[in-house]
Amino acid sequence: MGRVRAFGGTLRFMGSYFVANLQAAMEYRTAFWAQIVIMLANDCLWLLFWWSYFQQFPLVNGWQQTDVVILWATSALGIGLGNAVFGNVSKLAALIINGGLDAYLGMPRYVLLHVCISGTDPSAWGDVLFALGAYCVFLRPGPLNLFLFLLLACMAALIFISFLVLCGSLAFFLGNVEGLSQQMLGALVTFSTYPMNIFNGVVHILLFTILPAGFISFVPLQLLHHFAWPLFGGMCGFLLLIMLGAAGFFQLGLKRYESGNLLGMQN
Amino acid sequence: MDLAQEAQPWQRRSGPLQRLRLTSLKYLAILRVSAANNLAYLPEIVFRTLFLIVLIYVIGQLWQTTFILHNSAILRGFTVNSMIWYLAAAETLATSLPALTRRIDQEVRSGELAYLLGRPCSYLFYNYAHYLGERLVRLTINGTVAALVALIYVGPPHFTWMGLAAWPLMVLLAISIEFLCYFGIGLLAFWTENTQSFSFIFSRLTLVLGGVLAPIEIFPQPLRTLAQILPFSSMLYGPARTLVQFETASFVGLVWQQVITLSVVSLLILGLYRLATRRVSINGG
Repeated sequence: MGRVRAFGGTLRFMGSYFVANLQAAMEYRTAFWAQIVIMLANDCLWLLFWWSYFQQFPLVNGWQQTDVVILWATSALGIGLGNAVFGNVSKLAALIINGGLDAYLGMPRYVLLHVCISGTDPSAWGDVLFALGAYCVFLRPGPLNLFLFLLLACMAALIFISFLVLCGSLAFFLGNVEGLSQQMLGALVTFSTYPMNIFNGVVHILLFTILPAGFISFVPLQLLHHFAWPLFGGMCGFLLLIMLGAAGFFQLGLKRYESGNLLGMQN
Repeated sequence: MDLAQEAQPWQRRSGPLQRLRLTSLKYLAILRVSAANNLAYLPEIVFRTLFLIVLIYVIGQLWQTTFILHNSAILRGFTVNSMIWYLAAAETLATSLPALTRRIDQEVRSGELAYLLGRPCSYLFYNYAHYLGERLVRLTINGTVAALVALIYVGPPHFTWMGLAAWPLMVLLAISIEFLCYFGIGLLAFWTENTQSFSFIFSRLTLVLGGVLAPIEIFPQPLRTLAQILPFSSMLYGPARTLVQFETASFVGLVWQQVITLSVVSLLILGLYRLATRRVSINGG
């Protein structure tokens, strides 16, 4: 009972931050909507590229245009939700280097969660809108398929955030890894948005381990095509593993954290 | 006869030339300082080429698979070799862009622009020299890395000496057009709350319609014609295509397109710059 209450409390805490972040972002209303529209346009541009590609070359290793739509929709929704709810994770490395965790360490909440949810990226809503729109318009899913799509995208979002936590936490051990984090993020997004079948050998293994792009787009795509419990179990297992790994790695690093003695305010 | 008076015609002729020489030296010094600043952080720039390697690998794999599946040695006029070298050239240009818009945006917002305007140099040319210095360092490093990746991927390129000779001119014109576009977007900070979104969508338009992911030939009509007319193609597709498949007629056409684009964009940006500087108000302090 106590755990259920604690879980409910955490959800309320996350919800409060989510609303506060959204209100803060909407303070600059024009910029907020401009970022959303521009991200939406960006995603549509990529679909335009793939549409042009498939007009000229109809098949890539058995892939069709709708597969690319699913690929883009699941990755965009996963990454979009991740950045919308846990938007501050991209600043984790900078916070660690600059002693910015001080403001969170004195709080009664779990530090990693608190850091991650205390910021949002308004453009992420453009990704979310694109993903939902593209999936509903091009795939016309039934309620069950739509539910599965949303569930898989939420799982992809958690994998994406855990990966960024792992990259950001490297700052505890290696110092300034902001550049590395950005490069890894770029690589993850790039690999997630291309048909997985064009890669082979060692790269394929890497995409299901070190750079988990396969779990962000390819596995959800397979499950949306033909749902299979073993594959779904595999995705759940990987999600659990990477979340625990990220939390453990952050905790391990936190022991090495040195305060910046900064007089700061957590707003 | 007054010697001073006798020297006047000579002075009148050399005066502007001398000024031009001094002005050039001034901006050349800014360019050198900017390049030196970037060379000081060489490991970071080299490290940032990781994304370039990923891009060439991923897009290269897509095209290699396409060639294999279509069981064809030539697709839309490209062999596997020329396609990979085309991608390497286009991505070298695309990934070597410095964060110009962010800098201009910050200078406008922080008010630093007011101090920079008071310097004995044009703010526009100061930024152009600064940008060129940074861009040249990035181009050199990214070009080397991209060439190595392409070399490992598909072996040596089949460039002609004419393509290689034309490359610096095409690149200079292309990066000058890009400079003006991103400088203009940065100046929008005078009117808008956030210019990063505009910069982001412009870079994405450049990626897709500029031919970084694939040559423009893959677009169906009328999108292909539209992409060729828009300035994006003269920034990336044109130079990269001319490097790998040099044709005199298309080279001349490209240079004309670049010169016309540069002229039109220059006029627009100068107009925008005048409007923007009128909004600068300097309060003592």
